[in-house]
Order: sequence, then structure tokens, then C-alpha cells
Amino acid sequence: MVFKKGFPLLLAACLAMPAWATEGLMLRDDTLRATASASARDLGKAVKGNKVDLLARQGGWTQIRVGGKTGWVRLLSVRGHAPAGSNNVLAGAAELTQQRDPNKVVATAGLRGLNEEDLRKAHYNAEEMQRLEGQAVTGEAARRFAAEGNLVAVKLGYLPAPKPKETTISPTGGFEF
Amino acid sequence: MTKTLFALMLAMAASAAQASDPDRLDMGWFKDQKLAMATPPQAAPQQTAQTPPSTSTSPATTERPADQLLRALVSGKVSVDEERRIGDKIAGNFLGAVKLVPNDGLQHYVNLVGRWVALQSERPDLPWRFGVVDSDDINAFAAPGGYVFVTKGLYRRLANEADLAGVLGHEIGHVIRKHQIKVMQKSKVIALAAGLLGKQIKDENQLIQNLVGNGAEIMSRSLDKEAEFEADRVGMVLAARAGYDAYALPKVLEDIGHVSDQDSRVALLFKTHPRPSDRFDRLAEAVGERLDNLPEGKSLDQRFYRLH
Repeated sequence: MVFKKGFPLLLAACLAMPAWATEGLMLRDDTLRATASASARDLGKAVKGNKVDLLARQGGWTQIRVGGKTGWVRLLSVRGHAPAGSNNVLAGAAELTQQRDPNKVVATAGLRGLNEEDLRKAHYNAEEMQRLEGQAVTGEAARRFAAEGNLVAVKLGYLPAPKPKETTISPTGGFEF
Repeated sequence: MTKTLFALMLAMAASAAQASDPDRLDMGWFKDQKLAMATPPQAAPQQTAQTPPSTSTSPATTERPADQLLRALVSGKVSVDEERRIGDKIAGNFLGAVKLVPNDGLQHYVNLVGRWVALQSERPDLPWRFGVVDSDDINAFAAPGGYVFVTKGLYRRLANEADLAGVLGHEIGHVIRKHQIKVMQKSKVIALAAGLLGKQIKDENQLIQNLVGNGAEIMSRSLDKEAEFEADRVGMVLAARAGYDAYALPKVLEDIGHVSDQDSRVALLFKTHPRPSDRFDRLAEAVGERLDNLPEGKSLDQRFYRLH
């Protein structure tokens, strides 16, 4: 009774960790495949709205478990769940989230956020612009840097904007403008 | 007299336009610059050739008539130099609100990654400038002409170089598609000013000031949602072309989506952008099966410059 008040908070905090790491939601129907490839064996379907466990990632593919089956779907077909309670004003929730990854240390004190007022009142800072200029690199330097990382440029066209949904309700009569 | 009147009208129009089109400008501001590619306004010989990286141009202190830029904006043919002068003003004001992180190693690294990604675009030769700014906010910004900024707060959430490439790619997308310039072109200020062409016009600096508004306020306005979705698509493609993991950007969006919307560090980002989950979904829709045969890109976790 006494701890009733604090309990949900604690629960949410506990759930948050594994929930984020392992649960996901199917955003669209996709074929479950035996390996991370569009040509891999078809194991069935994962359906939009399915809650799934996220197991691994490889390139553009995510390994999931759904309804007792394990297989791979396109990475963009499934979105990782927000941690439980992420929409609440849980003090420290952000810190909790951060602690899971040592690379993501959040400075908790110090700078205020960028707000509109600060931006509105800002004056041109020539000194900082000089510093920015001083850090500029040439295209040649960037190419060398890429080569050092074994980055190889790939040919790929831009992605067209997705067609508006409901194209099936097409105006058969046609509207003329 | 005419001069004063004009300035006044510009100012009034500027505030009216800003008040009525809340979603004109945003981080996207900067993004709009696609046009300049080939066609500088036929007007005065542009100093295109003289845009050495050395242009430590502080805000153009030289007086330049405003009518040329005005005509350029009206006609849709803004030169790279003009684009640059607008961007310089915005970026300089922005750095008046938040400074660069005093870490040359970090800034150099971000410029190398950013430049490599920008080289994959149709505007590889813009004088690209990248910077990490000293704020715990989670956000990124762009200004016309090739200025791109990432906050320290966002940078710290990134896990590897591919993540950084995806984030920078989004902002590069705003620049190469000239999202902000397009907003300016649509603004009522331009329409009004166009009517006054040929009359006495103040210097260009004044015009830019009026277009930009107060300080770096323009950075806190929203671009059109479609511009954001477009920048996401461009960012993903540019990162992939650069040899990076194409899926880094959507993964970053997924991560940011996990930050509570009550968290002040994402207040500005969430105010000016579609929800991260919507952006993820729209990217998913755009990609579909198109990238099924894309070779797996690199993440370069080891080389990533980590902030401590």
C-alpha cells in the first residue's frame, strides 16, 4: 500500500531497459526469410501490427521472432518500441536510457537548451565563423579520408517520394484542373 | 523618404510573413539551395571563381545594391554567391547563440565526414562547412550555401561514423534542395519587394537582414514537412553513395523517437520537425524493396570520434 505510488514508476524503469532493446512493432506486412536476403527461403509472413522480438541486425535486415518463428524481415518494416513510460515525465528516464550505452553519456548539468529567445537575440559572431572557416577541408582531403576508411562510393539513384496512400481510391472520373 | 518607407515596408512584410507562415522556415531553411547549380543570374559578373575557402567573409560589410539579389530571388535564379551571403548571415547569427565545441580534432573529423558525403551530391563544390555546436539539445541545422551544424547533444547519441553521415546527409539534403531559399522566394517580403523593384532600394545587407529576421530566429522555424521527408530520403541515399550503412539515419531517428517528448533537449527539434516515428515510416515507405540489392555499407565504429 505504502509503495503503491512508487511502484509503477519502478516498474516502468525496469521494463524500459529490455523493452527497448528487444521489442518491436511491424509497420507493414513483410515476408519472413531464412537469412538476411530478399532471395532467401520464405518462412511465412509477419503482419503489420505484430509485436515481435528483435534479435539481430544485418545490413538492411532485422532478425525477429514472431509467433514462435524466427526469421529476417527488412529493417524498415519493423520499428523498435519506445521504452515503457517514455511518454511520462519520468525524472531520470533519459539518463536511464543513456546509461545503457557507455558511449552515450549525457551531461546533466551546464548548458541550457537552444531556445527561440536565444536564437532571436543572437548577434553575428565573426570569431566563431573564423573558426568554422579554419576547419574547412578540401574535397581531396575528404577523398583521402574516405579511402583510409575503405569507403567506396556506390552508384545509387535518389529515392522518389512515396506516392500518397489511398491511390486505389483513384478518381476514376478524373478531376480536371 | 522612399528609402525609409521601403525599409519599413520590408520590415512589416517580414513580420507579417513570419507570423502567418509558421512553417516556412526551419532547420530546413538552409536546405533549399538546389537551384544555384548552374544558373547564376545573368546580372553582374559573379565572383564564383573567387570563392576560396579563405572567404573569411564576415557579414558582408561592403555595400551592395539589393536589387540584384531581389531579382534573383524573384526569378528563382539565386547565384551560389548570393546563396552563400544569405547563409553566412544565418550561420554567423546562429554561432552568436551557440558556439562551436572547442575541440579541433572533433571539428576536423566532422568536416571530413561531411565533405565526403557532400561530394556524393550534385553540389560537391559548394564551400561546405560543418560544425558541432556546444549545446545539449538534440538537433541539427543547415543554412544556405553549405553550412551544416550538429549539436553536441545529438552527436553524443551517435554510435558510429555512419550515423554521423546519415545526420549530416539530411542537412546536406536541405542545402542541395535549397529548401530555405525556396521558402524565402515564397515569402511575402519578396512579393512586396518585387513590386518596388526599380525604386530606391537599400543595400543587400539590409535585404538579407529583413529576409532572415532577428538573429538566428530563422533556425527555430519549421520547414514544410515534405521538405523534411525529402531531406531524410536524400540523407539516406547520400550516406549510402558514400559507402556507409544506409540504414544509419532511420536507426538514429528511431533512437531519437525514444526520447520523451517532455525532455527539453528535444523541444525545438520536435517543434520544427515531423515526429521521428513518422519520419521513419515515411522513409520505410520510400525505400520499400528498392535497396534490397544495395551492398552492405560500412559503419566505421572504430574510427568514430568519440566525445567524452
